[in-house]
Amino acid sequence: MNRKRMDKTEKLSFQLGEIPVVFDIPVMIATTVAFLVVLALSLLAARNLTMVPTGLQNFIEMIIDFTSGIVRTNMDEKTASRFYGFAFTLFVYVVVSNELGLMFNVVTSEGNHQNAYAWWKSPTADINAVFSLAIAITLFAHLLGVIKSPKLYLREYFKPYWWMFPLHIIDEVAKPLTHGMRLWANIFAGEVLVIVLLQMNWLFAGAPLMVWIGYSLFVGVVQAYVFTILAFIYLSQKISTHD
Amino acid sequence: MEQLSMEQLNVIAGAIMITIAALAGGFGNAMVISRFIEGVARQPEARATLLVQAILGVALVEVIPIIAVAFGIMKVLNIL
Repeated sequence: MNRKRMDKTEKLSFQLGEIPVVFDIPVMIATTVAFLVVLALSLLAARNLTMVPTGLQNFIEMIIDFTSGIVRTNMDEKTASRFYGFAFTLFVYVVVSNELGLMFNVVTSEGNHQNAYAWWKSPTADINAVFSLAIAITLFAHLLGVIKSPKLYLREYFKPYWWMFPLHIIDEVAKPLTHGMRLWANIFAGEVLVIVLLQMNWLFAGAPLMVWIGYSLFVGVVQAYVFTILAFIYLSQKISTHD
Repeated sequence: MEQLSMEQLNVIAGAIMITIAALAGGFGNAMVISRFIEGVARQPEARATLLVQAILGVALVEVIPIIAVAFGIMKVLNIL
C-alpha cells in the first residue's frame, strides 16, 4: 500500500556513552534562523532611537507594551519590571518560530520520490524544541520560588492538607506537559494539513490552502500569546502567591 | 469478513480520534462564543475586553481537541 506520508528529516545522531543522542537538523536550522530574525528585528528597531517613534520602532514598542501588559496582569509592579525583557523575547521568538514553517518548504530527493528529505519547518512543530522551552520555563519558576524562600516553597506542596502532596506533584508534572503540548499540537496540526493539501490537486486544494495558511498565521500569534500568558501564570504562582 | 491489517486499523483509530476531537471541540467553542455573544448583547460597551477574553478562552479550549487531532494525524500517517 503506497500511502502519502510526511517527508523524512535528516538526523544528526551519536552515542553519548550508553545514551543515543539524536538532533533533528531542520529544527536546528530553523531555530538558528528564528534567533537571527529576532536579533535583527531588535537591532534594527533600536537604531536611531527617537522620542517620537516611527516605523519599526513604533511597531516594536507596541509589542513591548503588549507583552509588558501580560506581565503586569500577573505580578505586582515591582516584580513585574524584572520580567519585561523576558516576556518580549519569549513572545517574539515563539511568534517568529510559529510562522517560519508556513512561508516555504525545501525538499531534496535523490532518485525516486521515496527518499525525499525536508530541510525546513517550524521549530515549534517539533515536540522536543517545544518541551525544551516549557521545561526551561518550569525550572526557572521553581528556581525563583526556592531562591525567594525555600521554606514557603516547600510549604506550598502541603496546602491545604498534608495528604494533598501527591496531587501537587501531579500538578507540577502536568504543567510543563500541557504547556508544551498546547503549542506543539497547534503548529504541528497546521503544518500537517498544509502538507496534505499540497499533495492534492491544486484545482480543489488551492482555495482551502489559502484559507488554512491565513488561519495558521492567526493561530500562530494567538498560541504565542497563550504560551506567554501561561508562562507568566506559572512564574507568578511560584513567586507571588506565598504570604 | 476478512481480517483488517494493522495499518488499516491505525487509519480507523485515527479517524475516530479526529471525529470525537472535532465534536468535543465544536461544543466547547460553542459554549465560549455563546456566552461571549450574551455578554456583548447585555453590555455592548464591554465588547473589546470581552473579545480578548473570548479568543483566549477559545484558544485554551481548542487545545485538548487539537492535541487529539495531532495524535490522530500521526496514527493515520503511521508516524506514531
